[in-house]
Amino acid sequence: MEEKADVWQGTLALMVLKTLETMGPLHGYGIARRIEQTSGDLLSINYGTLYPALLKLEQEGYIASEWGTSDNNRKAKYYRLTRAGRKQVEKEAREWEQTTAILARFLSPKEESS
Amino acid sequence: MRGLRAWFLRLVGLFNKERRDRELAQEIESHLQMHIEDNLRTGMPPAEARREALIKLGGIEQTKESYRDRRGLPVLEHLIQDLRYALRMLRKNPGFTAVAVGTLALGIGANTAVFTVVNGVLLRPMPFPQPDRLFLVSFTPQHGPFETNPSLADSHYLEFRRADGLFERLASFTGSGANLTGAGDPVRIRTANVTPDFFPVLRVNPAIGRGFLAEEDQPGRDHVVVLSDELWRDRFGADSRVLGKEIKLDGAGHSVIGIMPPGFGFPYDAQAWTPLAVRIDSHNSFSRPVVGRLKPGVSRQEAQAELETLAHQLFLAPGEDRNGWVAQVLPLKELLVANIRASLVIFAGAVAFVLLIACANVANLLLARASGRQLEMAVRAALGAGRWRLIRQLLTESALVALAGGASGVLLAVWGVPALIALAPAGKIARIEMIRIDGWVLAFTFGISLITGIVFGLAPAFQATRSGLRESLGQAGRTLTGRHEALRCALVLSEIALALVLLAGAGLMLKSFLRLRAVDPGFHPENVMTMTIDLPDSVYNTPAQMRVFHERTLSRLSSLPGVIAAGAVNWRPLSEALIVGTFRINQDGNPRPPGFMVDKPCVSPGYFRALGIRFLRGRDFSERDNSTAPGVVIVTRSVAERLWPGTDPIGKRISMEDHPKPGDWLTIIGVVDDIKQQGLAKKSDPAIYRPYLQVSQPFFLSHMTFAVRTASDPLSVAPAMRGVLREVDKDQPLQSIDTMQDLIAATTAEPRFQTRLLGVFAILAVALAAVGIYGVLAYSVAQRTHEIGIRMALGAQAADVLWMVFGRTLALVCAGIAIGAAGALGLTRVLSKFLFEVKPSDPATFAAVALLLVFAALAAGLIPARRAAQVDPMVALRYE
Repeated sequence: MEEKADVWQGTLALMVLKTLETMGPLHGYGIARRIEQTSGDLLSINYGTLYPALLKLEQEGYIASEWGTSDNNRKAKYYRLTRAGRKQVEKEAREWEQTTAILARFLSPKEESS
Repeated sequence: MRGLRAWFLRLVGLFNKERRDRELAQEIESHLQMHIEDNLRTGMPPAEARREALIKLGGIEQTKESYRDRRGLPVLEHLIQDLRYALRMLRKNPGFTAVAVGTLALGIGANTAVFTVVNGVLLRPMPFPQPDRLFLVSFTPQHGPFETNPSLADSHYLEFRRADGLFERLASFTGSGANLTGAGDPVRIRTANVTPDFFPVLRVNPAIGRGFLAEEDQPGRDHVVVLSDELWRDRFGADSRVLGKEIKLDGAGHSVIGIMPPGFGFPYDAQAWTPLAVRIDSHNSFSRPVVGRLKPGVSRQEAQAELETLAHQLFLAPGEDRNGWVAQVLPLKELLVANIRASLVIFAGAVAFVLLIACANVANLLLARASGRQLEMAVRAALGAGRWRLIRQLLTESALVALAGGASGVLLAVWGVPALIALAPAGKIARIEMIRIDGWVLAFTFGISLITGIVFGLAPAFQATRSGLRESLGQAGRTLTGRHEALRCALVLSEIALALVLLAGAGLMLKSFLRLRAVDPGFHPENVMTMTIDLPDSVYNTPAQMRVFHERTLSRLSSLPGVIAAGAVNWRPLSEALIVGTFRINQDGNPRPPGFMVDKPCVSPGYFRALGIRFLRGRDFSERDNSTAPGVVIVTRSVAERLWPGTDPIGKRISMEDHPKPGDWLTIIGVVDDIKQQGLAKKSDPAIYRPYLQVSQPFFLSHMTFAVRTASDPLSVAPAMRGVLREVDKDQPLQSIDTMQDLIAATTAEPRFQTRLLGVFAILAVALAAVGIYGVLAYSVAQRTHEIGIRMALGAQAADVLWMVFGRTLALVCAGIAIGAAGALGLTRVLSKFLFEVKPSDPATFAAVALLLVFAALAAGLIPARRAAQVDPMVALRYE
C-alpha cells in the first residue's frame, strides 16, 4: 500500500512539474484537468490528492505559488515552476526515460529469445 | 538539502495555522467553483454538478486533513496534543499528581544526589591537562602491616626512573604538614613535598612566579616554597609582593617563589609545596606515591608490562621472592578514590532500589487510575484512535509525571547533596570540591526520569488499552474487580522484596556498627583529653632539646587543677600512623616467631595511668629510667604470652637492634594489657613500650601526644592545656586537641556514615513500600465494598472482615519477604568488606528486619482494614 502510494506520488509530482513547464503558471484545478487531458483521460486522479503534492513541491522549492485571478475573474492560487523546478523536470524526465527504456527491453519478447 | 528545507518549512507550518487554514479553504473553494462551472457548462443540473465536483475532489475535509499532515509535522503535532492533554489530565487529578510526583521526586532526588557525588568523586576527570595520561606507579605489599596506598619505595622510584622508557616524566611526592609562623598566628598547614618534576608532570604551572628548578632539590637550595592560592589569600592578603619574601615553615626560612592557580590543591588539599630530594641512605625506607605522564601512544597495559618486568629485574635481589607484592600502573585518580569507591557503589545500588520502589508505587497508582479510565479509553478507541496512539498518550502522561518528579528531584538534590556531604566524615570524601550539580548530573536526571516514566508507565498503558472495545463499552462504566489484581500484587511484592533487601543491608551495617562501638579499646577513654604537637627539627634539632620541651610540658600539665594523671606517647592509640618493627631476644632456644612484629611506642612515666591502660605485672617507667640508666621496656600481654608462655617475662631481655651490641639489651620490667592501636575493628597489636627518656632518635620524639586524665569533664581543661603550650613555646601550633572519646568516634566515623546513609535509604524504601501496600489494600477494599456488604449481610462480623484484609496483607508481605530474603542473601555479600563481626547472612538481623517489615505492612493495612470493617451492608448494596 505504502509503496504504491509513493510511486504514485513520485509520478504525480513529475506530471505536475511537466504540466507547469509546458503550460506556464496554472491553478490547482487547471493542473488536475490538464493532467487528465494529457493522459487521454486514461488517468483519473482524485483531485484532492493533488494539493498535498503541490504543497510538498513548494516546500522542496521546485514550485512557487501566489494568488491571482482566473480567466473568469475568480480568485485562485497560481503555481509556477522555479529555476530549481526546471532542472528537476529535466533530471526526472531523463531518469524516467531510462527506467522505461530498461523496462521496455525486458518486456519486448524479441530480445529475450536468445 | 531539499529535504532539510522541506522539514524547516513544515516546522514553520506548525505556526499561524488559522491563516493557512483560511487560505486552504479559499483554494479548495475556488477549485470547487471552477469545477462546478465547468460541469454546468457541459449541461449538468446544478445539484449534480456540485456532487460530481465533490466526489472528484474526494471530500473537502479529507483533502484538508491530508494537506495539513503534509503542511506540518504530524508526529510533533501529536506529541504537542498529547502533552496538552496529559497536562490537562494531571491538573484535573491534583491528588494523584501530587502523590506520584512526590514519590518520584524522592526516588529521583536520592539518585541525583548520590550520582552528583559519584560523578564528582569518581567520574569527573582530574583538573589537569590530559588527565587520562597520568598514572600512578606502584609496587606495594597487598596485605600485612605495611599495606599502603599505591606507592613506590624511594629506591625503587630511582631505579624505575632510570630504566623506564615509556613515561615522559615521573615525580614522587608526599603529603605532610608544617607549622607556619611569621604570618599571623602560628598555624598548622597541609604541605606537600614534591620532586621538581611534579608540576611539569601534571602540566600545571604557578599562576604567579615560577615552579621548582631541577637543582632546587639540593640541600641549601631547597629553601623555596610554592603557595596555594587559598593560603596566599588567607595569610598574605593576595599580595604578589610576597614573591621573594621569606616565610617560616617549621621554623625554617623558605622564600616564596610561586603561587598556584585557584583551586589547585593536589595532593591532599596541600596549601604549600616544597621541593623533595629523593636520596638513598641506609635509613631510607620511605615509600611515596609516584605519578608519571605516559608518552603519547603508550597504553596503560604497556606501562604495566614494563613495570612488572622492571620490578622483577631491579626491585628484587636475585632469588628474592616478595610474595604478595604487586606492581600496578593505576589511573592517578585512584590515589584519592580507591577507598571510597566501594561504598559509593553500594550507595548507588541502594538508591536505585529506592527508585525502583517509587516506580512500582507510581505504576500501581496508574493502574488504579487506568481502571477508572477504561471507559474513556474505549470511547477514544471507538472514535478511531489506534492502540499505539492511546499507549503513546498514556506514556506521555507518565513521562510528564516522571519529568516533573525529576525536576523536583533536582531541587531535593540541591538540598540533599550538602546534607550528604555534611553527614560524611570530615576528610573522608576525596575530591569534595569536584562535587556539584553540573550538566552531566542534569543529563543523568533527565535520562533516568524519562526511563523511569517509561518503566512505570508501560505496563499500565498496555493494561489500560488491552480491553476489547465492546467489552468496555458494554460495561458502561462499571469496573471489573480483580482485573489488574495480579499485576498490582506483583508490583507490591517486588516493592516489599526490594525494601527487605535494603533493610537487611542497613540492619547488618547497624549491627556491625554497634558491635564496633562496643569493642573494648584496652584502656579507659572517658575523661581523657589529648593534645598533639609536632616539633620541627629545624628548631628542636637535638633529642635533648625535645626532651626539655616534653618534660616542661608534662610537669605543667600534671600540676593543672583537675588533672589526675598526665603522660605522653609518640604515636597515640587509634591514630593512623604506626611504628612497627622487629626485635631480638637474648635467649637461646627461644627465637622470635617468624613474622612476629610489634608496635614500638615511646611513652612517658604516667602514660599508662593517664590513659587507663591496665597494668598486669611489674612496675611503670619512672623518671629514673633515663639515658644513663639501664635500658628497660614494658611489653603487652600478647607479647608475653607469645614469647614466654607460662613463664614470667619480667627480667627477660630483648633488643630493638638488628645486631645488638652489649649495651643495646633492654630488660622487661612490666606487662600491660593489649590495646587497639590501629582501629577498633583491627585486632590488638602486640607492643613493646620504651621510656621516651631512653630514646635518642629525633624521629621518635618529634611527634608527641600528651594525654591527661581529668576528674571531671575533660573539655574543661582544654584552655589550660593550650595555655601550657603557650608558656612552654609560644611559636608551636597545636596539631590537634581532642578528647580521647572524640578521637575514637572519629575512627568509626566512616562506618557510622555508611550505616546512617543506608539507614536513611532503607527507611525511605520501607515508607514507600508501606504507601504501596496501603494503596493496593485501600483500592481493593473500595473495589470489594459490594462483596463485603454481601458478606456482612450474610452474617460476617466486623472482625472477620478485618482479618480478611489483614490476612491478605500478611500473605503479600510474607511472599515479598521470602523473595526479598533470597535476594538479600545474594546481595548483602557485597557488604562483607564493611561488616565487623557480623556475617552478611546473619539470621538475627534478617529475622528482625522481616519482623519490622511485617509491622510496617500491618500498620499500612490498618486504615483499609478498618474501612472494610465499617462497611454498612445497606449502603454497599444500594450503591450499585
